[in-house]
Amino acid sequence: MVVGDVSTGTDVAVVGGGPGGYVAAIRAAQLGLDATLVEMDAYGGTCLNYGCIPSKAMITATDVAHDAGNAEEMGVYADPDVEFGEMVAWKDGVVDQLTGGVEKLCKANGVNLMEGRAEFAGGDKLRVVHGGEGQGSETIEYEHCIVATGSRPIEVPGFEFDDDPVLDSRQALAMDDLPDSIVVVGAGYIGMEISTVLAKLGVDVTVVEMLDEALAGYPDDLTQPVKQRAESLGIDFEFGLAADHWEAAGDGIVVAAENEDGETREFETEKVLVAVGREPVTDTLNLDAVGLEPNDDGRLDTDEQARTDVENVFAIGDVAPGPMLAHKASKEGEVAAEVAAGEPAALDYQAVPAAVFTDPEIATVGLTEDEASEEGFEPAVGTFPFRASGRALTTGDSEGFVRVVADEDSGFLLGAQIVGPEASELVAELGLAIEMGATLEDVAATIHTHPTLAESTMEAAEHALGHAIHTLNR
Amino acid sequence: MPREFKLPDVGEGVAEGEIVSWLVAEGDTVSEDQPVAEVETDKAVVEVPSPVNGTVRTLHFDAGDVVPVGDVIVTFDVDGDAPDEATEDEADEPEAATESASKSATEKASTRTFAPPSVRRLARELDVDLDSVEGTGPSGRVTEGDVRAAAESDTTEPQEEPPEEVQSAVEPVGEQAADHTESGEPSGTPAGGREPAGREKTLAAPATRGLAEELGVDIDDVPATEERDGEAFVTAEDVQAYAEGGTAAQGDTEAAAPDREFAEGGETTQPYRGVRRSIGEQMAESKYTAPHVTHHDTAVIDDLVATREKLKARAAEQDVKLTYLPFVMKAVVAGLKEYPILNSELREAEEEIALKQDYNVGVAVATDHGLMVPVVKHVDQKSILEIAAEVNELAAKARDRSISREEMQGGTFTITNFGAVGGEYATPIINYPETAILGLGGIDERPVAEDGEVRAAKTLPLSLSIDHRVIDGAEAARFTNYVMERLTDPELLLLE
Repeated sequence: MVVGDVSTGTDVAVVGGGPGGYVAAIRAAQLGLDATLVEMDAYGGTCLNYGCIPSKAMITATDVAHDAGNAEEMGVYADPDVEFGEMVAWKDGVVDQLTGGVEKLCKANGVNLMEGRAEFAGGDKLRVVHGGEGQGSETIEYEHCIVATGSRPIEVPGFEFDDDPVLDSRQALAMDDLPDSIVVVGAGYIGMEISTVLAKLGVDVTVVEMLDEALAGYPDDLTQPVKQRAESLGIDFEFGLAADHWEAAGDGIVVAAENEDGETREFETEKVLVAVGREPVTDTLNLDAVGLEPNDDGRLDTDEQARTDVENVFAIGDVAPGPMLAHKASKEGEVAAEVAAGEPAALDYQAVPAAVFTDPEIATVGLTEDEASEEGFEPAVGTFPFRASGRALTTGDSEGFVRVVADEDSGFLLGAQIVGPEASELVAELGLAIEMGATLEDVAATIHTHPTLAESTMEAAEHALGHAIHTLNR
Repeated sequence: MPREFKLPDVGEGVAEGEIVSWLVAEGDTVSEDQPVAEVETDKAVVEVPSPVNGTVRTLHFDAGDVVPVGDVIVTFDVDGDAPDEATEDEADEPEAATESASKSATEKASTRTFAPPSVRRLARELDVDLDSVEGTGPSGRVTEGDVRAAAESDTTEPQEEPPEEVQSAVEPVGEQAADHTESGEPSGTPAGGREPAGREKTLAAPATRGLAEELGVDIDDVPATEERDGEAFVTAEDVQAYAEGGTAAQGDTEAAAPDREFAEGGETTQPYRGVRRSIGEQMAESKYTAPHVTHHDTAVIDDLVATREKLKARAAEQDVKLTYLPFVMKAVVAGLKEYPILNSELREAEEEIALKQDYNVGVAVATDHGLMVPVVKHVDQKSILEIAAEVNELAAKARDRSISREEMQGGTFTITNFGAVGGEYATPIINYPETAILGLGGIDERPVAEDGEVRAAKTLPLSLSIDHRVIDGAEAARFTNYVMERLTDPELLLLE
């Protein structure tokens, strides 16, 4: 024990203040436990500070400008001036408001906040090392520990984030000035979202992707409208290329990428954004001390109560198995806290929705038709194209469709895939329907407000039942 | 890939089973269908087979524990890839549970249970296995009502107590290797435990009732510390205290009567469960239902002794040990054919007496773990040698507990051979719902008066108990005479 080392005891120690950790801490406190939340950087974690929230702010702000400037067919002629610095400042204000809110919520619920980096010290203890020189450390003795350390961007060899022209997603959302050009390495959802923002702001964007498609893992018919829209915004796609290195060249840089055959292509650009994925953060935790080690994916295996192999240590969010999604982390945080409080909670959800905030948006929940077949269901599928939706036409954006997947015999909804305007919002209704064990009939028989995009889910359900009104039945 | 294995339904209507012994240890490699545990229900002892190829990760109970059907008893690490859901499900079911096994086999492969999140949570709170609940909602969706009904039926099942509390209550007993508990104090009541109050009506705040439900405590049993309007008023603290100190007592309520007094030297207790309780319940039902009358007589069997002596060696040549029992069984079947009313069953509800066309004779066998009654089917169609072989085989199976339930079912008349241990006459209890049982005393030389002289003769004392609702005393006497005639003159059995 070093000088200045203080020791405190707590019922629940939560390591990491992102959407998993702060939710876990608040729920634990609500249930009467003494909860301590340790955060080494910023409350709200990646999601609020560097990810979901700032990117959505930038997407919306960009859309306002872009849509205003592209509404001639509605009789609107405009050429908006974008002050990029002000746009970023507004975004930062939104982030500050939210993260401040999280801190207040934690305090109002009686959560002890502690700044520093926590690591296991053995014997149900955490050592929290405070930031900065000579700040010392302190020890927390816990009854339960919830690990919510999240993830960080994967670095590609040859592209160190410390180098000036090389950006990770966080840096790309915090640039002072817009570059003239950028190479985006990786056509996953982060690369695609940021590419779209930058392209709409007039940046010359080239996407370099190792695979031969954008948004791999999503069905083709969902990604196709996104790729087409991106191309129409001037984004160049270069598939089948692995980024290899960069070097300075004149005012800018040259990014070199190799194809399968070892042939090199070079791209002149001002900046390069590396967005090839995220990796769980476990190396700061000194897991040895508690007898845990990450699995092959670098995650901590958990059971349906979010428990690791160590009885009183839970793992939630990106360090736990499953998709790296904030809302999944939050749910796991609630469950872990409730289990720690002795409640019979469990991760028994049927489906985790996911959204990609590209243009148009993609959202999915539950099973696709193929996945339903694999699980032994006989799938019934219904779709509804937005071009048949009155409301979609009135927004000027009628690209895409809603598709529902259900069990043919029982009619139970199993999944939904949406590409199109407000897909991220529309998927919520279908997520609820799936969790509730609703049938196609239930969704079809529910009156939906006219004229709204949400009617499309009702129509898709009717289509699956063979009696859609506004589209031809199968 | 870990795989949890729940105690399967090992027989119709069986709600729990006692793990008699583990046949595997943690870390052992097992193959599919390899027996992993011996489980005793109130019907029989069965071997539970492994559903998978793999290794045993965790045994969740100790030998002697009583486990409700559906509780996870073993966690396996499965070899290779997990089988798909359908085959897992089929593998889950032991052979005994053919009905549910074939049901799940015909269902489609997917095993998702559809229920809203609130219902799933309720199921966890009430400790109900959602997958086992039949949904009554649209398209078979499981509703809140379904889960509550499932929880109710769990707790109202007479032989089933709330699983968690019971386990903790019986553990001290179950752990005793010798099945005995040393005890200067009652084993069922924990230190500081409280007796259930058992009120009809209890005042309490809704939240307190909720707490009681959550803790699995009957609020009417919680001793009240306050009164309101002359009624007992239970507080949350009362519930908490009772749940902590008293759950074990509550779980054992039926066994542990309040104010029990103990002899000075203390006492030992044995579990009244499994086969023992099954015997007890059978006996009580028979004795309390059927008015018993026992008819006694003695057969002089010098000739039978000589005949059996002569045939014994012949039987031994065929590796069959020939006792007197097969002769008695043959004689009994002859008697039953003559007096079919003794081969009957009274069906009160239907207002009829069924006269059985089968002659299936049960033979009571004393075993280390209690009385068992294997049944020799169709005695009328079998030779004495065949009967002898079958009785020996069934008795051996009963003793080593490998006998199946089928082999103990279908009897129409029972013979109990208490004389093997000693004694002359007894008053056997009918193997209900049969209507008669014949008890055999010890075969011995006894004084017999014949033609004015007393001589020593080999005799077999007989005790025939009858259900007097169905059989008259005269019929019992005539039947006994008919049987005795064939025991005294075994040549008559040749006519059978």
